[in-house]
Amino acid sequence: MSMNDNIFEKLKILADAAKYDVSCVSSGVDRKNNKVGSIGNASAAGICHTWSADGRCISLLKILLTNDCIYDCMYCVNRVTNNVKRATFTPEEVAELTIEFYRRNYIEGLFLSSAVNVSPNYTMENIYRTLLILRNQYNFGGYVHVKVIPGADPEIIRKAGFLADRMSVNIELPSRESLKILAPQKKAEKLLLPMNQIKAETQINQEERKKFKSIKNVKSFVPGGQSTQLIIGATNDSDSTILNLSQSLYDKMSMKRVFFSAYMPVISSPNLPAISTVPPLKREHRLYQADWLMRFYQFKSDELFTETEKNLDLEFDPKLTWAFRNINKFPIEINKASYEDLLRIPGFGVLTVQRIIKERKAALLSYDSLKKMRTALNRAKYFITVNGRYYGGVEIEPEYIKEEIRQKEIREQLSLFQLL
Amino acid sequence: MDYLYDGSFDGFLSCIYHNYKSKNTSGIYEKNLYQYSIMNDYMIIDTNSNFADIVYNAIETKISKEAMNMIFYAFLSCEKDKDNRILKFIEFGFKKGKIAVDMYTNDCVFPMREIYTRVAREEHNFLGFLRFSDIGGILYAKYSPDNNITVLITEHFADRYKYEKFIIHDEKRNIASVYANERWQIVDASSINTVSLTDDEIMFHKLWKEYFTTLAIEGRKNINLQNQKVPRRYRKNIVEFK
Repeated sequence: MSMNDNIFEKLKILADAAKYDVSCVSSGVDRKNNKVGSIGNASAAGICHTWSADGRCISLLKILLTNDCIYDCMYCVNRVTNNVKRATFTPEEVAELTIEFYRRNYIEGLFLSSAVNVSPNYTMENIYRTLLILRNQYNFGGYVHVKVIPGADPEIIRKAGFLADRMSVNIELPSRESLKILAPQKKAEKLLLPMNQIKAETQINQEERKKFKSIKNVKSFVPGGQSTQLIIGATNDSDSTILNLSQSLYDKMSMKRVFFSAYMPVISSPNLPAISTVPPLKREHRLYQADWLMRFYQFKSDELFTETEKNLDLEFDPKLTWAFRNINKFPIEINKASYEDLLRIPGFGVLTVQRIIKERKAALLSYDSLKKMRTALNRAKYFITVNGRYYGGVEIEPEYIKEEIRQKEIREQLSLFQLL
Repeated sequence: MDYLYDGSFDGFLSCIYHNYKSKNTSGIYEKNLYQYSIMNDYMIIDTNSNFADIVYNAIETKISKEAMNMIFYAFLSCEKDKDNRILKFIEFGFKKGKIAVDMYTNDCVFPMREIYTRVAREEHNFLGFLRFSDIGGILYAKYSPDNNITVLITEHFADRYKYEKFIIHDEKRNIASVYANERWQIVDASSINTVSLTDDEIMFHKLWKEYFTTLAIEGRKNINLQNQKVPRRYRKNIVEFK
């Protein structure tokens, strides 16, 4: 056992240092246990193993290989000029920890990031070595997500890509201007280079696998795709800038996920929000809601903003806000509307819409049958008709509907109060 | 006439077969849980795997594979009176055919969908919540699920830990699935005593707990959400909450 007392200290420091990298998913890759003597498979749906005190799902061992960094990014707790305890894992230690946690079903796999230690190449080499030990020595078939260090040799990145399920390069900040001010060592071009490489390699690999379909076990390059992360609230960039960036990343980089991380003030600086600033959690929540609208509800980022409103409303969710701005499109008749139109109804999720379409084939829907199906109608009722009848109770005007919703909130708060 | 069966799935399907032939059932009940009374006439139905197979195939072909799946999950559920809910659903399904499962608002269908969702959700949750300990080369896990889902989750771990040996122990029902060399079966677990942990095992428990507490971001504390997602009744078998 290569574990020693040191391990506890290292794990504490390096798990703590990794907690602001919010990507936590283990989904996207389906893989059975194929190799003889191996351990592990991957589940496309993703599996949450537990939930932490901050309400987040934990499915991976998420750590930094080291928090000893040569860069000095102003927003980062690990920057070289900050006085924090430093620690470094060996690739062997990370691999062993991963396997032992995996055997006990604590995790789906590993999420390995790193500060930039010595040089981008040196760091990326160590990340690659960890992958090698896991895949080749332990025959690990579980999920592995690694960070790519911009500036590293493309050849190491490429080799690592054949061993990892997902890779990410953090875009960090929403605009070139913010990058220049807060992380001058991370140039935009340097960040985009490995993203483009991953995208290109993925495409080549997909074509090759199509060609050689008959040959089993043609290696996959990053089958789970790539993702990235943006810090929000550290700069003045608007939600419109952020989501337009997301949109082009999804469109042009075949990005699988864009993650948003609310800025947690850790240091004082004239270029950053005051250390007493409350982290913009509500705003982060709205951005994620908008992100889901873009990925699953066929919304485009520019539909969510106007000439004057460049930020998402904090009081009402993005779908509701869009409905208010496009009120002439409502009410929508449940029994006749298309899939695309049904997706636009506030309060209706994708599953609800699919259920409605299925049930419609068997019988005409009534308001009662919708209620029976446990459809969430508290928002939707203002925007739909069922067999021509409207059940919202108010004129379909944004101000009236907003007032109804606010009144309901107040009534619900009061009734909770009375319970206490 | 109430039909009584031995509690097995084949036994239940045998009752369905019998009802198809005699059409006289007033309800299906597990022998050991049945309230015997003068008012109700009952009959004990023998478990016959051939008859069970016939019913199984009839359901898959005349209704659908999806319906069969729902029925199996409902059978594993802890729902009171599941047997008669399933009976009603099967009768409805044979009448309407494939489209039966999509009739969400029908009184025979909707409860089945709800039960299925509940059991499937618990199954998925335990793929994550189940915790193994290494007891000398064998992986051992103990849990107390609401529904009888051990048969559902074992397959997942049989693939994941293909070259390991493991035991999944449902302490509520006193049964366990035992896996080794690419085969597994459900056994009576009353012979399993409390397992004591090795030093190595205690170390890994500590490491995991350390990791678990460290990664929570203070500024985002949300205990309510955590309570909602990890039900209290499961926590006695989840390492980081012990």
